[in-house]
Amino acid sequence: MSFLKASAGVAPAAVPPPAPVRPGFAARTWRTVRSSRPAAIGLAIVAVHVVVALLAPLLTPYHPTTGDASHALLGPSADHWAGTDQYGRDVLTRVLYGGRYALGVSVTATVLTIALGAVLGCAAALRGGWLDDLLMRVLDAVLSLPAILVLLVIVTALGTGSSVIVLAIAVVCVPQVVRVVRGAALAVVPQDYVTAARARGESTWAILRREVLPNITDVVCVEFAMRASWVVLLISSLSFLGFGADPPTPDWGLMVSENRTAITVVPMASLAPIIALATMVVGLNLAADGLSKAWGVDRIREGA
Amino acid sequence: MLTFLVRRVVAALGTLLLSSVLVFLAVQALPGDVATQVLGRDATPDAVAALRKQMGLDQPAWERYAEWIKGALHGDFGTSLVTTKPVGGEVAQHLGNSALIAVVTVLFAVTGSLVLGILAGLYRDRWPDHLISTVSLIGMSVPEFVVATVLVLAFSVTVPVLPAVVLYGPGAGVGQLLPAVWLPAASLAIVMAAYIVRMARTSVIDVMASEYVTTARLKGLSTWRVVTRHALPSALLPTLHVIALNVAWLVGGVAVVENVFNYPGIGKLLLTSVQNRDLPVIQAIALISAVVYVVCNLAADIGSMALNPRLRTRGGRIR
Amino acid sequence: MTSLPAPIVSVDELSVAYRSGGREVPVVHEVSLAVSPGRTLALVGESGSGKSTVAATLLGHLRHGSRITGGRVAVDGRDVFALSARELRRLRGGTVAMVAQNAGHALTPSMRIGRQIAEAGGEVPVTELLEQVRLPRPRELARRYPHELSGGQQQRVAIAMAIAARPKVLVLDEPTTGLDVITQRGVLDLIGALREELGLAAVLVSHDLGVVAHMADEVCVMHAGRVVEAAPTRRLFTAPAAPYTRRLLSSVPRVTDAGLALVGEDGTREIRPRAEVPADAAEAVSVRHVTIDYGTASRAVDGVSFSVRRGEVLALVGESGSGKSTIAWALAGLRVPSGGRMRAVAGGLRGGAAGGSAGGSAGAVAGGSSDGSSGGASGGPSADLSGAASDRSAGLSPGGSAGAWSGASSGGRSGAPSGASPGGDGDLGVPARRRPLALRRTVQLVFQNADTSLNPRRSVGDAVRRPLRFFGTAGSRGEAASRARQLIADVRLDPDFADRLPAQLSGGQRQRIGIARALAGEPEVLIADEITTGLDVSVQAEVLRLLDDLRRERELACLFISHDLAVVRGIADRVVVLRHGVVVEEGPTDVVFADPGHPYTRELMAAALEPEPGVGAERAAVAVEGWEDAAGPGGVWVELGGGHRVRRWRSADG
Repeated sequence: MSFLKASAGVAPAAVPPPAPVRPGFAARTWRTVRSSRPAAIGLAIVAVHVVVALLAPLLTPYHPTTGDASHALLGPSADHWAGTDQYGRDVLTRVLYGGRYALGVSVTATVLTIALGAVLGCAAALRGGWLDDLLMRVLDAVLSLPAILVLLVIVTALGTGSSVIVLAIAVVCVPQVVRVVRGAALAVVPQDYVTAARARGESTWAILRREVLPNITDVVCVEFAMRASWVVLLISSLSFLGFGADPPTPDWGLMVSENRTAITVVPMASLAPIIALATMVVGLNLAADGLSKAWGVDRIREGA
Repeated sequence: MLTFLVRRVVAALGTLLLSSVLVFLAVQALPGDVATQVLGRDATPDAVAALRKQMGLDQPAWERYAEWIKGALHGDFGTSLVTTKPVGGEVAQHLGNSALIAVVTVLFAVTGSLVLGILAGLYRDRWPDHLISTVSLIGMSVPEFVVATVLVLAFSVTVPVLPAVVLYGPGAGVGQLLPAVWLPAASLAIVMAAYIVRMARTSVIDVMASEYVTTARLKGLSTWRVVTRHALPSALLPTLHVIALNVAWLVGGVAVVENVFNYPGIGKLLLTSVQNRDLPVIQAIALISAVVYVVCNLAADIGSMALNPRLRTRGGRIR
Repeated sequence: MTSLPAPIVSVDELSVAYRSGGREVPVVHEVSLAVSPGRTLALVGESGSGKSTVAATLLGHLRHGSRITGGRVAVDGRDVFALSARELRRLRGGTVAMVAQNAGHALTPSMRIGRQIAEAGGEVPVTELLEQVRLPRPRELARRYPHELSGGQQQRVAIAMAIAARPKVLVLDEPTTGLDVITQRGVLDLIGALREELGLAAVLVSHDLGVVAHMADEVCVMHAGRVVEAAPTRRLFTAPAAPYTRRLLSSVPRVTDAGLALVGEDGTREIRPRAEVPADAAEAVSVRHVTIDYGTASRAVDGVSFSVRRGEVLALVGESGSGKSTIAWALAGLRVPSGGRMRAVAGGLRGGAAGGSAGGSAGAVAGGSSDGSSGGASGGPSADLSGAASDRSAGLSPGGSAGAWSGASSGGRSGAPSGASPGGDGDLGVPARRRPLALRRTVQLVFQNADTSLNPRRSVGDAVRRPLRFFGTAGSRGEAASRARQLIADVRLDPDFADRLPAQLSGGQRQRIGIARALAGEPEVLIADEITTGLDVSVQAEVLRLLDDLRRERELACLFISHDLAVVRGIADRVVVLRHGVVVEEGPTDVVFADPGHPYTRELMAAALEPEPGVGAERAAVAVEGWEDAAGPGGVWVELGGGHRVRRWRSADG
């Protein structure tokens, strides 16, 4: 099909649009979101989760960690829409509050991961040589260990505080982000505009900031959404195994593990957090997919 | 061709060596003295010192590392701090049980996902594609423990045909474990397949849009021939590496799923060892995981060599 | 056309539309054409004219998202788009076969050549087909994979594949675009011969009027999806009726032009005589015995020497792999030579003689004076080194050469009488980052591919402003902005383009911005690396004219790198012919073109196709003569006088 590409450009290309449009990144993103249904749906789902987590105290009259033992293991009713768990705590309340922990830890961890990964990835791509080789070897070695195992070891060593989990997640996820960002930057580096900057004798930092970064923001954004979904999954798995959030904390993974034994009695106690978790990750994945499609970011080719 | 292979093998060994160092360092860096932990907080300092000496903890770190690696190469991973049995035997037993799950998972996940991914790619933007893509998106959006829980709800609670938990210990025979394999394997396969389906779909779409596939079509070849002879070899190339990564991922995924089903495999062992701080066992499992990862990637490299003549023939460039 | 037998291909009022963003965009509009057995029809047009779309419909193929909105395509009496899937498969290959543009992409990388040809059907054995397309050792070749073949061989394999099932019609979509001239000539001759042998009707899609004049019996000129003119080849080229055709024909540079062709709106053609380079014009850049290696194994450039004077255009001509672009990159400081010496010579005349804009000359003076101090500072210490350096340089050790030459060059400069502050005198044998700022500014590169030479995320104005600020040629932010607008106007574009992104510009406009960006550094040497390759002829003509204007206005020394002899003929004052990294001939353009001394140059010229039917055919007779390099240590060059010299060679018979 591509041998017809020559004709694909079609004549009007010679006439630029009359009004000079200089879309900034925000404006471009907004237009993308409006034109891409998956991205819009995905971001909307994530937004709902954020709003619900923030407004949780206003949405429910119950307290997430204290329960009424006389009302334990109730099915869904008008008072308790999703029933109660074995301690008589309102399941829906815990699900609503659970988003706070999931979002807070995930967002922090993802931001840290992406920032670290972007810096290292760009440095590797631009500098190349031994730095690149060494970095990629070390990262490969980290990748060769299962994420869960690394997380478990770190958490056992340093405890289950949120800051430890954020750090542990960064260790586990940075290698993949570096790979993706490095791949994207490597595609930009041989472009003639980068060569032109090199011929001017610009510094590495200036080339990175002016020429490379603006051209990989797409990749980094998509990677952010994608990585966030991963992180949410990892954290919930960790909680499920009992190494994440500590018991009274309302956390989805923890809730599934607590209520699983009573699954025959009150299935909603397990299903509600599952639904919350799944919708959040689906939202993030939809956003990543939609954005990558709209921006032409090839997640596979970038090494994801 | 040979240089390509040799370079890959050398790189793989390098990665392995580096991972073993990382594992060793990470585990050794765990706070709290091992000897103290074994003996408990109220042990006398003399007893702790004696045990330290016995365990070789008074040696410098690099000597202990060398010792450990030397043993590991001969299959000797030391003795468990908890059961005081040799780690090697214990790990091997659990590993065998997990392999049962892994084989079933890989078999179903890889074949199924390739078929679905290729179908979705060929029917791009039509209903089979939409269906497969949506299902795989959901598949990759739910963690293994959720899939497992839902499967238990469906096949052990609602329609009780398969066991929800395994009641046997690690020494159980294949016959005893077999009924318990299906649910864990299904949970893992669903999550794993989701990634491979997406990869296969994208690369099929890429290749189907390539000039050589168009040329093959314009030669008047049947769609079947175009797909099998011209498109698939190239489309499978990038998919191979994703499969390899996912097989390696199984080692981690198994930890969660085995825990759900109380299945006596390597994942369960890992979790108990972490809870008990049984360092030699953790080290052994980590090293084995790294070996699995490296071997899978090497296999993918060899596979891509078979599919890509550029890597096989003279003048083939290595990325 | 009425006297011809019934056409085997007939397209009636064909319209094709492409769906984009919920809107139907017409791509082809009521196109009609007919081809009789044994005849060749050429579809000619610039990019976006819809010519490839029409050609593909002959095989019942439409691009994803396109559809027929009217008309009909009949091949061998049958409506192509009414065929069942099975019948369509039989039509493809059996009745109509296609040779795609880029054989490197059109052959399946994972399949052996023999298998790919065999599956195209037909009774002819593969080895026989490979012999038929004049490929040597067919038995061995059939077992090869596509990537093991050269571009020309790949295209021949694609042709073998197309004729395997003995079709009646051959569709050739830009069959030689991207091939070197000599290879192109070989492939075209092959197609011509096969057409005769097999009695094929052919539809040739091409943007190259030389190829069309050489190959076609009839020509359809397309523009924006419509047929503008259709006529027998000879009539179309001698008496074009449509104004568009006239303009198109006039825009094509010819090997016989003695200067740059200026094309009027109505298609009139006027040859502008070349600008006189004064005999005493100063040397702006000098390259002596430069050798550039890739890694340790391959030598891209081997002992090349030349110099460019102020206001002069020197063309480096050669096929792909001749090392011409490598030289450009080395001069721009992107690659370090492993031996030899490259220098930029101070332009003492510059300050007064520069004819640029008022702001331009002021900037030049400012840049010059600031450099004067830095030049002096660096001159001091390097003078001490020059003694030791020259010792080493005698041995031509590759490692030490960079340092050695910088010492030697500054030594040479301090010996020069000129006391005027230089614009940027110095050693070009070091990477850009290690050159003084003024020297980086002096040598500027314009890239081949205008699509990738501008950052897609930054406005065009930003691209021009950056070097202004970076080189300090504009003092303040405001000045940079106004100077950038001025520069954009200088390359004959609307200054308001400054706010646009590169994607909002056409290819020719982007290339102008590339030139403006290079000019922002107030350079004395401009390196134009294949800057018109990939542009449509009319756009190419405009860009060439701009370049010619600029070198007149600004007295630029211009190194023009090209594979296209006709383009070189129009713009260059002198020519250097490169082959495999070695100069085989150099001299004034007129002299070299009138009397090429080296057999390789002669072969290049013979292979070049003129947009005049029949012209190339006679020249083919002089083509290939066997020769081998005879340059020895005793004498490399045969001087022919007037700066025209030829590398020593002897004829090799058999």
